[in-house]
Amino acid sequence: MLKKLAVIAVIAAFPAGAMAAGSSDASGGCGVGSKVFEGQRGVAPQVLAMTTNGTFWQTVAVTLGTSGCSQDGVVKSNWKTAMFIDSNKDKLARDMSTGSGEALESLAKLIGVKDQDKAAFFRATKENFARIFASDDPTTDQVVASLKQVLSADGQLAQYAQAI
Amino acid sequence: MRGRRFLLLLMMWLPLAVSAADNGYLKELIDHARAKHLAQRPEWLNLLHYKPYPYRPGWRSLADDPAFFNAPDGKTDAEAELDATLASFFSDTQETDKIQNPQCRFIARYHWLKGELHFDPALLPEQPCKRFYQWRAALNPHQITLVFPAAYLNNPASMYGHTLFRVDAKDQDEHTRLLAYSISYAANTAESRGLIFAVKGLLGYYPGLFTMTPYYIKVREYSDIENRDVWEYQLTLTPAEIDRLLMHVWELGPIRFDYYYFDENCAYHLLSLLEVARPGLELTDQFRWWAIPSDTVRAVAETPGLVKQVIYRPATATVIRQRLRYLDSLQRQLAKDLAEQKTPLTDARVSALSATDRAKVLELAYDYATYESATRSGPAADPQHMRDLLLARSGLDVPSQRPDVPEPAVRPDQGHKSSRLALGVGSRGGRQFQEIGLRPTYHDLMDDDGGYTRGAQIEFFDMAFRHYRGDDSLRLEHFTPLDIVSLTPRDEFFHPLSWKVNIGWTREHFADNDEPLVFRVNGGPGLAYNVPGSYDGRSVYYGYLEAVLDVGKRFNDDYALGGGPTVGWLTDLTDRWRVNLYARSWRYGLGDVHDSRELVLAQRYSLTRQSAVRLELFRQQEFQDYWNGGEISLHLYF
Repeated sequence: MLKKLAVIAVIAAFPAGAMAAGSSDASGGCGVGSKVFEGQRGVAPQVLAMTTNGTFWQTVAVTLGTSGCSQDGVVKSNWKTAMFIDSNKDKLARDMSTGSGEALESLAKLIGVKDQDKAAFFRATKENFARIFASDDPTTDQVVASLKQVLSADGQLAQYAQAI
Repeated sequence: MRGRRFLLLLMMWLPLAVSAADNGYLKELIDHARAKHLAQRPEWLNLLHYKPYPYRPGWRSLADDPAFFNAPDGKTDAEAELDATLASFFSDTQETDKIQNPQCRFIARYHWLKGELHFDPALLPEQPCKRFYQWRAALNPHQITLVFPAAYLNNPASMYGHTLFRVDAKDQDEHTRLLAYSISYAANTAESRGLIFAVKGLLGYYPGLFTMTPYYIKVREYSDIENRDVWEYQLTLTPAEIDRLLMHVWELGPIRFDYYYFDENCAYHLLSLLEVARPGLELTDQFRWWAIPSDTVRAVAETPGLVKQVIYRPATATVIRQRLRYLDSLQRQLAKDLAEQKTPLTDARVSALSATDRAKVLELAYDYATYESATRSGPAADPQHMRDLLLARSGLDVPSQRPDVPEPAVRPDQGHKSSRLALGVGSRGGRQFQEIGLRPTYHDLMDDDGGYTRGAQIEFFDMAFRHYRGDDSLRLEHFTPLDIVSLTPRDEFFHPLSWKVNIGWTREHFADNDEPLVFRVNGGPGLAYNVPGSYDGRSVYYGYLEAVLDVGKRFNDDYALGGGPTVGWLTDLTDRWRVNLYARSWRYGLGDVHDSRELVLAQRYSLTRQSAVRLELFRQQEFQDYWNGGEISLHLYF
């Protein structure tokens, strides 16, 4: 069997609950090589390489304890949106291209889009697909920044730009 | 480092020792607990995961981690553990990022004992347990869902399927379940070699741990990478029951259980969490020897009032198959060519399509390219091309063309039960016989596959005993510890490889009519195709090329090594009636040189979900002898 390395951004399974009695991450950042985005929020995934030898998949489970990303097994609230976008970038791109879908609905929920604004939010992401995914393989930072711009420029949706 | 930890432990224990000696209230509580026989109560035993020994009298906890017990003999003495736990609650340890007060560390025990013994807060002050309550607030629990990703043959750890819990938050709905958290129990190992995993997993070599993961990570793993349909059973647990479950999960977080593939596995441990959540549920008792995830799902579904609603989440490949139904052959080909970059997006055939059809083709092309790069060997998807597909799609002013995938008629909890008894009569070479067969687990290609993964045969320890008319005794006809067949049809979009492996003992016919048991290992790759025009796997023709090794005293040199092809046609004539017609020809070229051939027509007719009749007609050859035969049998699932 041919070997292939597919790199997929995957957050390791956090040990449930009290497991996180471990240690807190000294760096205070979330994940490897945290970057600072607009002065407060770093966006970088815990990237795990998933390999397949063609026979079956195998996930490398890493237990993180309390890290920059998570506290006692749940993603820290200020990281939730960034982590979600980072882990679902491909699905978000697909959903935005049609203006619907589970990943897009979930993103809307995360940033608090009200029911009456959802249709506008979905339409805006579809119409501005080329701007939000401005390059072939944008970083999460870039997606977040351009989505913010798109929302800011929209009278109805500007209120949500800060929530991203 | 080690010294420090020891010191820490000592510091935690010191106040306990003191309080036990001169704490009148503790003594009162212990006496009260004795009087109420709390240590023998099922709630307490469930919290400690006490189970009877399988082979001898007595109980012990399944937890294999000393940190789970406050008493030195807590694993075997539930009463000592209760006393020590009560004593620990008097600790004045302050919670930090690294340590917890015992009241918080064992918060489910604390709340149960508090409810039973009515702790006096003046004498036993309650700790705030900030970390636990922050954690629970982050989960915002509203509903617990039992999630069942269907069987996945290509990973031994998930051959039978898998189960996990999802904690659904108050503000989520069916469109935003990705945002929930999942709680799963799994062997903690990076072992990727199937056989080693299987062996070590059987022997309890791996530590099992409960872990918590955002559900979107799990959906990616099951739906997108492994392409397993997922079933979500929403449970009726009340807020108080959910609280108990989460408190107990919090206790179990760092605790190691030795993982046993067959019995103490994910499915078993999730049932034990439900028993803690809802006292009075007795789910684990029926799974003393092995716990197959689909059987545990059935146990949950059959418990009156435990399941609220069931949601079906089709895998990426299932959605692609559904999309194919809505396209004509030209559009299908176009989508495939676009996905594989054999046709440019500017192709005149693309622009000739209506906007809706173009959306269908582009969406399928993107999904298929994603599927290919996630599952197949070869180069990863070209990001520029992927973006171009989406960009073209985003320019079309039509809604999403993703079709709804109808829920399969039979859910996993409604399929046939996984143990099977077979009673048959037949004739072979003119000799009549009666046969009784037992298959402990779990599914073969001729069984009705409602609720199961089509084309996935997994049988362990299948056996049959036969009595020939005129003989005085019953003889073991075959015993097959392991029999796995993957039969997955290929078409222009999907290219899976089929394969089979079989290990066991079977009867071999020698020239002098002696038929001793021989040990046989056989297996090999295969290819299967849908009959043209069908995509649903209901009519499939196939071929395998196998290697086979027979070992037995009767063979010259004690063995025979060979191989050869099998070709066949497996089809459903009606929903109840399945036919498998196949021919096999093996040539043993090494050891005891001989031939073995058979032509078989096997049929199954389902009477009910839990019973079926089979009729098998065959012509066989071993060495120089030929014979014909047939058998009719009644199959009962239990």
